[in-house]
Amino acid sequence: MSDELDRRLRTLLAPPERAPDEAFAARMTRLVMAEARLRAARRAAMTRLATVMAATASLILLFVLLARAAPGDSGSVVAPSSPAAAGLLLLALWAGVATAPVTMRRGH
Amino acid sequence: MRGFLARLTRGDGADDLAQETFLKAWRSAGAWRGDGSYEGWLLRIAWRTFLSSRRGRREEPVAEIEDRPAPGHAPEARLDVERALGRLPARERAAALLCFGEGYSHAEAAAIMALPLGTVKSLAARAKAALGQALEEHR
Repeated sequence: MSDELDRRLRTLLAPPERAPDEAFAARMTRLVMAEARLRAARRAAMTRLATVMAATASLILLFVLLARAAPGDSGSVVAPSSPAAAGLLLLALWAGVATAPVTMRRGH
Repeated sequence: MRGFLARLTRGDGADDLAQETFLKAWRSAGAWRGDGSYEGWLLRIAWRTFLSSRRGRREEPVAEIEDRPAPGHAPEARLDVERALGRLPARERAAALLCFGEGYSHAEAAAIMALPLGTVKSLAARAKAALGQALEEHR
């Protein structure tokens, strides 16, 4: 009886035959491609950010080393009127603009 | 997998879940170790996706059952079983679909549902009793 019931249930619950759903497959393909593009763009943005950060850090280090090699009269690490201070200021401005989120730059 | 989700959800957002399942599978394709069937791996993701979509939601009333007779059986019997299936709790429904509908063993169903083997056996037994009763009432 139990085997008979098992057999009946297997037959009755067998998944119905379905024709391939081309529209669903096409939608999935589009979704996967969009996701792949998004991933690639995110990876590229992260790489760009890392490059910019590394370049900025090296330039800051360079300016600091230059300032230390020829310290100004004030006795601070970077004299306020030195070319190194001007360079650091410009660098900070550039870094602020370059690394600000896109939405902020668009004014949202 | 789409069919499994359609019957598991009773048609409520099954395609969205199937879409989410395929995307998750694509994202974690590298995690598939190939030690089981690919279909079983997909069903495991589908089951987890179904569970997380249902978290915090109450079971909905039984939806309209698709009127498609199984070959060799009276259409009414199939409809009765589908209706009885729709009334089962989700875990029993899944166990019945996997063990009877998809033909997985209890151990495979337990792996898909991430439940102990004994739990799946008792879920399948309870589902079988309820579905059997529905068939008896049909006679």
